Amino acid sequence: MLRHYLTVTVRNLLKHKLISAINLFGLTTGLTCCLLILAYILHETSYDRRVPEAERIYRVTRDFYNPDGATTLQLSSVAPPIGPLLQNDFPQIKQMTRLLFSGPIVVRHGEKILTEDSLTFAEPGFLPMFGIRLLSGDARTALQEPRAVLLEQRTARKYFGSENPVNQELKIDAGILCKVVGVFQGLPENAHLHPAVLVSFSTLNDSTIYGERQLRTSWSNNAFRTYLQLPAGYDARQLEAQFPAFLDRHMPQPKRATDYVRPSKMTSLALQRLTDIHLHSNRADEIEANGDVNRVYIFGIIALFVLLIACINYMNLSTARAALRAKEVGVRKVVGAQRSEIILQFLGESVLITAVATVLAVGCTVLALPWLSRLAGTALPPQLLWQPAVLLALLLLPLVVGGVSGLYPALFMSSFQPQQILKGFLKVSGGLAFRRVLVVVQFVVSIGLLVSTAVVALQLRYLQQAPLGYNREQIVTLAYPQSLTPQYEAFRHALQQQSGVQELGRSSRIPTGRLLDASDAAATVGDSLRPTSANVKYVSTDEHFLPTYGIRLAAGRNFDPKAYPTDTTGFILNASTVRLVGWKSPAEAVGQVFRYGGVLGRVIGVTEDFHFESLHQPIVPMVLFLGTVTSRAPYNQLSVKLAGADVPGTLQHLERTWKQFLPEQPFTYTFLDESYAQLYQAEQRQSLLFGIFAGIAILIACLGLFGLSSFAITQRVKEIGIRKVLGASTSAIVLLLSSDFMRLVVVAALLAFPLSWYVMHRWLQDFAYRINMPWWIFPLAGLAAAAVALVTIVSQTVSVARANPVKSLRTE
Amino acid sequence: MIKITNLEKTYRTEDVETTVLHELNLQVQEGEFVAVMGPSGCGKSTLLNILGLLDDPDAGSFVFDGKETVGYSERRRAELRKHAIGFVFQSFNLIDELTVYENVELPLVYTGVPAAERKQRVEEVLDKMRIMHRRNHYPQQLSGGQQQRVAVARAVVNRPRLILADEPTGNLDSSNGNEVMDLLSELNEQGTTIIMVTHSEHDARYSHRIVRMLDGQTVTENILT
Repeated sequence: MLRHYLTVTVRNLLKHKLISAINLFGLTTGLTCCLLILAYILHETSYDRRVPEAERIYRVTRDFYNPDGATTLQLSSVAPPIGPLLQNDFPQIKQMTRLLFSGPIVVRHGEKILTEDSLTFAEPGFLPMFGIRLLSGDARTALQEPRAVLLEQRTARKYFGSENPVNQELKIDAGILCKVVGVFQGLPENAHLHPAVLVSFSTLNDSTIYGERQLRTSWSNNAFRTYLQLPAGYDARQLEAQFPAFLDRHMPQPKRATDYVRPSKMTSLALQRLTDIHLHSNRADEIEANGDVNRVYIFGIIALFVLLIACINYMNLSTARAALRAKEVGVRKVVGAQRSEIILQFLGESVLITAVATVLAVGCTVLALPWLSRLAGTALPPQLLWQPAVLLALLLLPLVVGGVSGLYPALFMSSFQPQQILKGFLKVSGGLAFRRVLVVVQFVVSIGLLVSTAVVALQLRYLQQAPLGYNREQIVTLAYPQSLTPQYEAFRHALQQQSGVQELGRSSRIPTGRLLDASDAAATVGDSLRPTSANVKYVSTDEHFLPTYGIRLAAGRNFDPKAYPTDTTGFILNASTVRLVGWKSPAEAVGQVFRYGGVLGRVIGVTEDFHFESLHQPIVPMVLFLGTVTSRAPYNQLSVKLAGADVPGTLQHLERTWKQFLPEQPFTYTFLDESYAQLYQAEQRQSLLFGIFAGIAILIACLGLFGLSSFAITQRVKEIGIRKVLGASTSAIVLLLSSDFMRLVVVAALLAFPLSWYVMHRWLQDFAYRINMPWWIFPLAGLAAAAVALVTIVSQTVSVARANPVKSLRTE
Repeated sequence: MIKITNLEKTYRTEDVETTVLHELNLQVQEGEFVAVMGPSGCGKSTLLNILGLLDDPDAGSFVFDGKETVGYSERRRAELRKHAIGFVFQSFNLIDELTVYENVELPLVYTGVPAAERKQRVEEVLDKMRIMHRRNHYPQQLSGGQQQRVAVARAVVNRPRLILADEPTGNLDSSNGNEVMDLLSELNEQGTTIIMVTHSEHDARYSHRIVRMLDGQTVTENILT
């Protein structure tokens, strides 16, 4: 029996090659999309899971509030005393470890001078907690002594080649001489942090580096990543509930505070599960760009949609073929087949086809993964799919997908009445309503995906072209070393010898970065100096920063310390700060007394608002002051505005000058344009993938429509014949047949519009600055889908409409 | 073998009711060869479908082998059909995707006959129908007469006690038609009961008895000898 069914299945597939190919193609494409997206989802959800006891490790996070209770800043790291105090107060904490990322820092070995982005000061407990394996050196003692260094293996090779790095010396940040004590295996790609150099945390005890006292007492430097390990089965919320009391117990009051405010009113601590960091954490200072759980959901839904469309397709094409196989069903019933046997036969067929499609899809997935890896910007090795759960799913997939998509055709075909079929009446019109619903569903999804693709693309274009309030063209940025300060004027002069250098300015942060630094601000309102009601961020700049970026002043003037020595206590505010304080206009703000970070001075200028941060963030109040005001705000960045066409020549000049003044500093530059593009890379990728999947969905949906229209045409051959005999033209018949389907597409469009509007409206909420969805994308998406559908249908109906009616009428 | 009493069958569409069979009575003895004749639309085919358990009457009784079949479930009817009844159609109704051999084998597959025995019985019957040399051909590669011989082979391979033939020569020329009628006679002589619907007086003469139908009722019966 089984062999018999198999023979019939294979012969049927071969006999109707076009429909079989469409079926197989649709299912294979749908399953391939699903598997690719599954690989992506598995990768995104695998972050940090290789860490032993990952489920019990938590990161301590810190939030800050303004007096109204609104959150002003969310950090993924805390102040240095918090970790040890927590461990002291709560014995249930089994392990605690702290990390301090240095930021870009120069590391030197002999002649090799390189900038390290991921140099990390780490407590010894970091190694066992994160399961870091040493390739050489002793894990128990490695990070105990001050100035001990562990190198990640590739980093070790970078400095030492094939030499043994152990006991060799490295000089960090020009002054800290350290000894390499071992080499460790780097954390896998799916980890939320990737330190390349680990320096013992005790190194920080040196007061020339950080200072032991600072580590114990500084509550304001929230740069310390602090991880805790809790006992198995312990509910982290129990511990979190005790954090407010903990803060009130330990945190000192700010010196200038006039009234006592409980620390737990201004700041809070929370615990974040290690395995939640990648997808659920989006704090201001994440170590690396994290994923986004919403993106995982979106792609999961797209995968299900594409699979749904492929299944519907199969149903439609199988039922379309039903007319061709009606006689077979009739004969089988006449010779004694039970209905259940016929159902099983057709179900078996769809399972078999799905199994073949699954095998093909696995092949396609393996071939397409490198391409998807490039698009998604993460490594997605095929090994992701070779895990027991996925393999089991792959085995069950043909049963489930084949079962789901084959059930309806099987029930439908097995219900044929042989006495009718065998007499030549092909009365197989039942279930038409159901199939129409299926087509509508396919087109709702397709049109929805089209609208989404258009909205994502438009928003991206808006981000690329939105007026930022500064000019990001032809600006090169470099890390500014403090050692340059004494000779900066000479350096600046030397650079400006070349006409390609238009301007250069220094600042603590540069646009496209985040604004994370804030201090207490107070402004004159009426007669008195009152603290501002919200946080004001700061950037320290020199007097050339505004011209370098072409930032326009709305009132007042730029810094000019040579002409106005008091500019060292002068402030330039952005328009948002003026509004925050309540001054009526920028002009009114100029000349007012302003206090920031304890420095009392006057407002000398007001800039127009500009987008310092990405367009995901709203423009916040900010203040600029000269970097000489407080030692806490040193310049970290140098921005050079280029002019003219000879960019390579200018860059060479820049490098020569740099080497001349800073022989010890590596010359590493970035174009601001590139940093800007980076900000929207996730959306860029999302947009591309959206477009691809939407295209595939529509392609498969049209194949389904092809099936349904060919089905409907076989049903109506006689009607067409009679109409032609009575004088209908070919075009009238094409119109008649097409209008039926176009009505379905119209219904689908009307359903898809509100749905996609709602979904994309939600998506746009992630951007502080966003487009208004233009109304025309809805009819445009609908028309595009309708046009593709029309071509599909017309291509089939024309030949039928042209056929000689005598032929079709004779068959009766 | 067959006793039909007061059989009623009405087809209903939304607003038209067509009575196809009306108080029809018919008896067929084991081993008989009965031809059913009548103008188009008189209910011949409907009668044949009810006799073949492909359709259900609205009222009346259909006793097959002493057992009342009206009210049988779909499952029991399929069961009875596959063991006791063979069908021959005007348009042959062979499955295009199966070879001659496989088409004939099909009823045995559904009755669960073991493969070795299937082979033997299929070859036996193909031989008898003089179509053995075409066993690996597909239906489209055969002439009409050959196709009908295959259909007859399929109808008899399960050794049914009743063969229902619906205008078996309707699509054949006279020489192929005669050949098929000879086959049916031969089967009847070997003991198979045959009920045949036909328009052809010539074919009807192969039977023992002609039942004439008009407007859903039997009107006359001629006994031929």
